[in-house]
Amino acid sequence: MGQGKSQFTEEELQDYEDLTYFTKKEVLYAHQKFKALAPERVGHNKNAKLPMAKVLQYPELRVNPFRDRICKVFSSSNDGDCNFEDFLDMMSVFSDAAPKPVKAEHAFRIFDFDGDDMIGVSDLREIVDRLCGPEQKLGNAEMQQLVQNILDEADLDDDGAISFAEFEHIIDKSSDFCQAFRIRL
Amino acid sequence: MEEDSQELHHRPTGVRRAFTMRNSVARQAVSFMPSRQLPYNTLRQAHSEHNALLEDVVDGNTGSAEQQANIIVRELEQHELLMEDNPEAEELRREALRDLPQGLTMKRQVRAQLSASVSHRSSRRPLSFWQRTKYRVSFGWKRSRDRLRNFIFSIEPWYEAIRQIEGHSGSAVGAYFCSLRWLVAADLLLLVLLLSFVVVPQVLHDNYVVREEVPRSVMDFVGGQGMFSDSLLFYGHYHSGGVAAPGPRYYMPLAYLFTMLAAYVAMLCVLCYRTAKSYRQTFIVTGGGVRNVFANKVFSGWDCSVATEQAARLNHRSIYNELKELLVDVNKPVIVMTFLTKLWRYTVNTAVSLIVLALIGSIGYGTWSLLSLEVEHYYWPIAVSGIVTAIVTVCPLLFSAVVRLEYYSARTALYVTLARTCLLDFGTLFLIFYFWATSDKSCWETTFGQETYRLVLLDAVFSLILLPAFEFIRGLVYKYQPKGSPPEFNIAYNSLTLIYNQTVLWFGMLFSPLLVVAVTVKFLLLFYVKKTVAMKACLPARKVWRAAQTETVMYMLVTVSLFVTLFGIGSLFMGKPSYHCGPFRGYTLVVEVVTEGVLGLSKNRRLSALLVFLTRPAVIGFIFVFLCIAVYYMRARSLAQRSMVDILRQMLVIEAKDKDFLLTAISKVSNGEWLYSPRDDTNIQDNSYTWKYLHDDKVRKPSNSGYQFAGPRLNHGETSRQQREDVKSFVKEEGDTDSEFSYRADPRGAVGGREWL
Repeated sequence: MGQGKSQFTEEELQDYEDLTYFTKKEVLYAHQKFKALAPERVGHNKNAKLPMAKVLQYPELRVNPFRDRICKVFSSSNDGDCNFEDFLDMMSVFSDAAPKPVKAEHAFRIFDFDGDDMIGVSDLREIVDRLCGPEQKLGNAEMQQLVQNILDEADLDDDGAISFAEFEHIIDKSSDFCQAFRIRL
Repeated sequence: MEEDSQELHHRPTGVRRAFTMRNSVARQAVSFMPSRQLPYNTLRQAHSEHNALLEDVVDGNTGSAEQQANIIVRELEQHELLMEDNPEAEELRREALRDLPQGLTMKRQVRAQLSASVSHRSSRRPLSFWQRTKYRVSFGWKRSRDRLRNFIFSIEPWYEAIRQIEGHSGSAVGAYFCSLRWLVAADLLLLVLLLSFVVVPQVLHDNYVVREEVPRSVMDFVGGQGMFSDSLLFYGHYHSGGVAAPGPRYYMPLAYLFTMLAAYVAMLCVLCYRTAKSYRQTFIVTGGGVRNVFANKVFSGWDCSVATEQAARLNHRSIYNELKELLVDVNKPVIVMTFLTKLWRYTVNTAVSLIVLALIGSIGYGTWSLLSLEVEHYYWPIAVSGIVTAIVTVCPLLFSAVVRLEYYSARTALYVTLARTCLLDFGTLFLIFYFWATSDKSCWETTFGQETYRLVLLDAVFSLILLPAFEFIRGLVYKYQPKGSPPEFNIAYNSLTLIYNQTVLWFGMLFSPLLVVAVTVKFLLLFYVKKTVAMKACLPARKVWRAAQTETVMYMLVTVSLFVTLFGIGSLFMGKPSYHCGPFRGYTLVVEVVTEGVLGLSKNRRLSALLVFLTRPAVIGFIFVFLCIAVYYMRARSLAQRSMVDILRQMLVIEAKDKDFLLTAISKVSNGEWLYSPRDDTNIQDNSYTWKYLHDDKVRKPSNSGYQFAGPRLNHGETSRQQREDVKSFVKEEGDTDSEFSYRADPRGAVGGREWL
């Protein structure tokens, strides 16, 4: 796992170790994985910016229904293109070591499609649609009822949308969230 | 938006309010609330494209980043502890930075600003010695843990293998393999311990003592009989004095006792810690049980570790089906069970449970009779072990079939099956142990060791060869004739195999030190066999398995099995080791090795008096009562904290509703609708809380509420007359409300909203 060592100085690695949940070895391993996405570009420039389509070739991301959202949320240029640091950020948040609140924070942003700082009815519909996949679709009445049920459970202040505090409250009570919101490097 | 508000027609208030809020002043007021000004939230604000206010304040992307960094730095600067100029504070800052939900670039910016501002201030108030030590210890611990993690990552076995499995079958099956890996690691540790302190000294000793050669055969190996019965494998062979090899003096009985003690105690501690941790995470922190089913399914529904197209498709389908099932469950009218139905169900459940208990009892009785049959045939012991293994393998399948006759929910059914199987496993093993311990065989420890050895070996035939072969055939049949349910990886059954083997090891380790080698090798092989089964013969599960809880239950069962073993060993072996074989020959009690051999109690009067005093019933009773009081105290505290949590939760809801109420009020006021409102119900029909509040006679109201919605109530009655004027003038210049709010908002005001939440 040490072939990528030449591309990073010791200080850079220390820096990454300080700022993410990874150890140095894991950072190097992450870089290998990143390099594997586009060897020709990352070989020249270790922090090369890869277009979203390239990043989405990562196996776990390729089948993830929220793939484009994940890329957008972690992309430093907000357009879904990721350089190595964005990728490292992503993997760090998805790793086992990241605490629940940090994961929840990012999950909230991934689910907040319209970016209004609330998971509203349209966001919920989008989430459910993506979860069910391209092959099956919930009927309109069912969807309505489902959204209603989710809001009944999560929307404490009755404003028809889930705020971050409410979202965190739900996540806090979910024992499965950390298991589900995890990608092994 | 329009569409949304129409669809949720049975919930008009909420939606309309949300709808109005989006476009109104109130919406913008929200973004200035203290809780929205915390650094964590600025992250989301920066990315929200519709946040007009922030875009007004900041122009350009770089500016916004700087602005954000500034806000975060200001926020962090509030914490005195973070800002001191010493290594401890630096460590704290490092952690605070790491936990910021921001990108790396932002973190770097914040760090640069922070360190600049730290160097500006110098620490005036040094930490107390105690605090400093505390931090130092905890950071030292963290450092070494990091280093250990770095090391473990580089040697972590099966990293890619588990990743592949998770990608193919989801994280629940992955969790099974993780626990298998954990067991292998634990057993390897035991193996090193036992080999180096017990087996190797004995080998050295044996090399110096000439022994006659005994012919060996394959069946001897399978049964652990013949020449194997007096070999390194079993308790009886171990020497009772010093090791004959040259070198430092090595007293075997002490080594044996302390190594075993260390092994059991270490495993007990590690298991208790792990179980408690995982129990706390899955049951206590989350409030136990499954609540918020819909929200959970939607927000934690996707298993991110899935990596193959096929698994993803199945995952989609399973989520879709589960959502549909949940909806059907909700729609189903609540059936009020008649008394007779309930009675019938209870009767069936009790009857089946009784039958299963009777079955377990009769299996126990049968085992006992088999053991007491005095057949002097060479293969008889092997046959007995084979029968026991077959029973233990088949019964779980039987139990999981039987449980379908009963009226349990799916989860309870699983737990009931697990409990029954474990009762059978632990019960059978304990029974065999009890049989040999109370028999008058001259070296019963060796006989029991042979028994466990055979059980492990014969179970390997089942779990390594027969069952996987069966699974493969099933997989093949399904491949060419896809009928019935597809083969899935049965996590419950496979976990039970692990638990059973580990339990046999707990029981047998003391009487057959090399058993740990056998079990470790078996687990190693099991990993590869099961991996092949999971990847090749099984399809990903159709139902999403709640991995976290299953793992907890599995650790719990392994811990329970260890407790059962320790109870058995403590009550039956410690008091009565064989007088003629094993390392403790010549002692009537095992502890005498320590009390006589090391402490020399019979000579040391004071120490023996002290020990006698400590083991008196009164002292032990006192300690016991003290423990009970401690437990009671802890329980009372946890109850108190639980009710506190409930109160806080209620307060959260009430406050949220208050906020909502105030926002509605603000938006109404800003629209000029609401300054005064004569009691005229025909005028406006509104379902909002404000209206309910004003129009509900049961609610206690201030005296002026009848004719006016007064400004002071906006601020919980603390506003002065001057401010009431403000509200009026504020409403007059209706058009320009944004600036008013921006003016009023103090971004640094009232920190701590988050802490409260």
